[in-house]
Amino acid sequence: MKALAGVRVLDFGLLTAGANTSAMLADLGADVIKIESGAYLDPFRVVGKPDNEKGWWNRSPQFRFTNRNKRGLALNLKAPEGQRVIRELAAHCDIVVENFRRGVLDRAALGYKDLSAINPRLVFAAISSQGDTGPERMNVSFGSTLDATSGIASLTGYEGEEPRISGMDVNYPDQIVSLFATGIVIAAIMEARRTGKGAFLDFSQREVASFTLGEEIVAASADPARASGRRGNREEGVAQQDAHRCKDGRWIAVTLDAPDPAIDAFCAGRDSADAVAALLARGIAAAPCNDGADLLRDTKLQGVTLVRDERGGLVKGLPYRLDGKGISIERPGPDLGQHTDEVLRELLGYDDAQLKKLADTGVTSTTPTVGEV
Amino acid sequence: MQKMSDDTSLPLARFTIVEVNDANVPLCLRLATSLAAKIAADLGADVLKIEPLGGDPVRRAPPFLLQGESALFQFLNTSKRSLVLDLVSESGRNALAGLLNKADAVLFEEPATSAPLLRASHATPIEIAAFPAEMNAATRPVSEFAILALGGLLHMVGEPERKPLRLGGHQASYAAGLTAFTGLSAALAARDAGQTAPAVRVSLAEVMQWVNWKAASGADAGGTSPGREGKNSEFQIVPCRDGHVAVVYTVTQWPATRALIGDPRLANPMFNTRAGRRQNITRLYEIITPWFADKTRAEIQKTAQAKGVPFGPIFSPAELLQTEQYVSRGFLTEMAHPKLGSLRLPQLPVQWNGRSFAPRPAPELAA
Repeated sequence: MKALAGVRVLDFGLLTAGANTSAMLADLGADVIKIESGAYLDPFRVVGKPDNEKGWWNRSPQFRFTNRNKRGLALNLKAPEGQRVIRELAAHCDIVVENFRRGVLDRAALGYKDLSAINPRLVFAAISSQGDTGPERMNVSFGSTLDATSGIASLTGYEGEEPRISGMDVNYPDQIVSLFATGIVIAAIMEARRTGKGAFLDFSQREVASFTLGEEIVAASADPARASGRRGNREEGVAQQDAHRCKDGRWIAVTLDAPDPAIDAFCAGRDSADAVAALLARGIAAAPCNDGADLLRDTKLQGVTLVRDERGGLVKGLPYRLDGKGISIERPGPDLGQHTDEVLRELLGYDDAQLKKLADTGVTSTTPTVGEV
Repeated sequence: MQKMSDDTSLPLARFTIVEVNDANVPLCLRLATSLAAKIAADLGADVLKIEPLGGDPVRRAPPFLLQGESALFQFLNTSKRSLVLDLVSESGRNALAGLLNKADAVLFEEPATSAPLLRASHATPIEIAAFPAEMNAATRPVSEFAILALGGLLHMVGEPERKPLRLGGHQASYAAGLTAFTGLSAALAARDAGQTAPAVRVSLAEVMQWVNWKAASGADAGGTSPGREGKNSEFQIVPCRDGHVAVVYTVTQWPATRALIGDPRLANPMFNTRAGRRQNITRLYEIITPWFADKTRAEIQKTAQAKGVPFGPIFSPAELLQTEQYVSRGFLTEMAHPKLGSLRLPQLPVQWNGRSFAPRPAPELAA
């Protein structure tokens, strides 16, 4: 039995920060129902669309990577009927995950105050750029904005040159928040089981990113004159460390316990695989600088991080292994509104007439009403 | 009205966790183990850190405080208790076995000599490794830097023609530490519900690939791997009057970004689509860069946010201490240390019903 079997998640999560937190809860056995609407798709459906043919909104690899093992509903949150259905669903859920800009759900009367009045056991995870309080609570950010404002960028870059961000294809701060938020949500579920009371969990993505620089902040507070900044690949306390180009043109990473001025020439004279093997044999930490294609090829290195769904599509696996195992994909990422009727019948007992009325009035849908989001 | 006991009890207060620090494991694994256990300790779990004779080597790792103590150790070991045990001796191992009988979970690293004992204990094992089990590489030399390279993250930062760059901080270890915390939390929840908790194994190499999933996804979908684009990337760093700003905007935020910069040359149709902007990225940055030169980071952030544009001013760790948002939320808290005086450090990055989790000082090494 999985740790979160019997737990249900109302998932408003978008892109990585929110949607992946819910995905990690699904990995642990939770029943995740993802809410989108025809007027507001998860932006991953759009940024990852492979073409403009009909049904493009169901084909984004990024969306499918992140939303496997969830059921998908499309309900218009701006329509009072849509809001009413969500409130009914909230009575049957244990967790809400959302990463809208602050105030969006409150304006639809779907914020923590409204939903906890219906279901006091609800654990409500609000993941936002800056947190739910403070003068910058309404600030927007996108991925690498937070590399900059968290401090990570100030410590990233070539020696003495300008700072660097992880960029569009990584958006590093978005990736790490779910690794932390999921654990906190689980702790809050334990508390809700014990006390009968839920919780409002206010996560600031910027704080999560700065938290990863904890020792730098402690050191800076003790010594404001402390030199920090860009050191290339060097690292305090490490004798010598850098990337070196090998004879085959590939870069390898090498960390040395004692300085060795000849290491660059050593690497330049060998193919990367030979150089890595020779260094490892001497007890030196070394590794090839892999790209995405290398990662796809090296199935041992992948461990449990990638898995294929029933359509053969590659999707995200687990960051950890539970009882030695990864996960299997029971359902691929949902098409827009694929499970609306199924879930409304199952949880709320809606009949054909009620479902038809919601569809006819545009409250539910399976096609977007927008081209770009 | 909440009862006082509900108010004061911390969420993980009823759990006992042992963190076993073997003397001879790579430091990058220890940082992950200690971070995971620290989060649980700050949340109220009774975390007992078993240190080898001479102490956890992280006590001697940089950065250092002015008194010579390790800031890294202070950050990673808040709210824990410490006990020195010689696990090479039989009495040490017996003492550990006794502690494990009363514990809910035990955190340790794969190469630890005590690992077989810990895997078999009554406490749920949370094991930190460098590499996936499939690689069978428990003794392969490792560093965080090598993990960043293996996981493909190194390939993503820097100029395409120059060497790849690591991200600042201990990102490989800490991403694994956050993962181990979530695994620990899931294990505790299973135990709490009367189930058999799953053994958790976290490898730094798997976590890095998981974090860097767009590399595999991109290579799988498009046939070519994403990689570092440097001066060809859409998002770049530009200098301003008092530092640097990251230029970041989504496709839908382009019109607002164009209006913010206000240069008529941006109306050129070549900039209208994302593909067009990418094709003409050098020209685009020639036009927008001067706008930043005479403005401060604060002015840029305020003006941009007013138009919904997510430009990111770059702050150093020292500057974060003054950040209005962090001060207002009390994120960087003051902690009174019995020997080191007052230290400021980040609290857990969550507020739980408006409550923060104040850390307690890291333990001294018992004489």
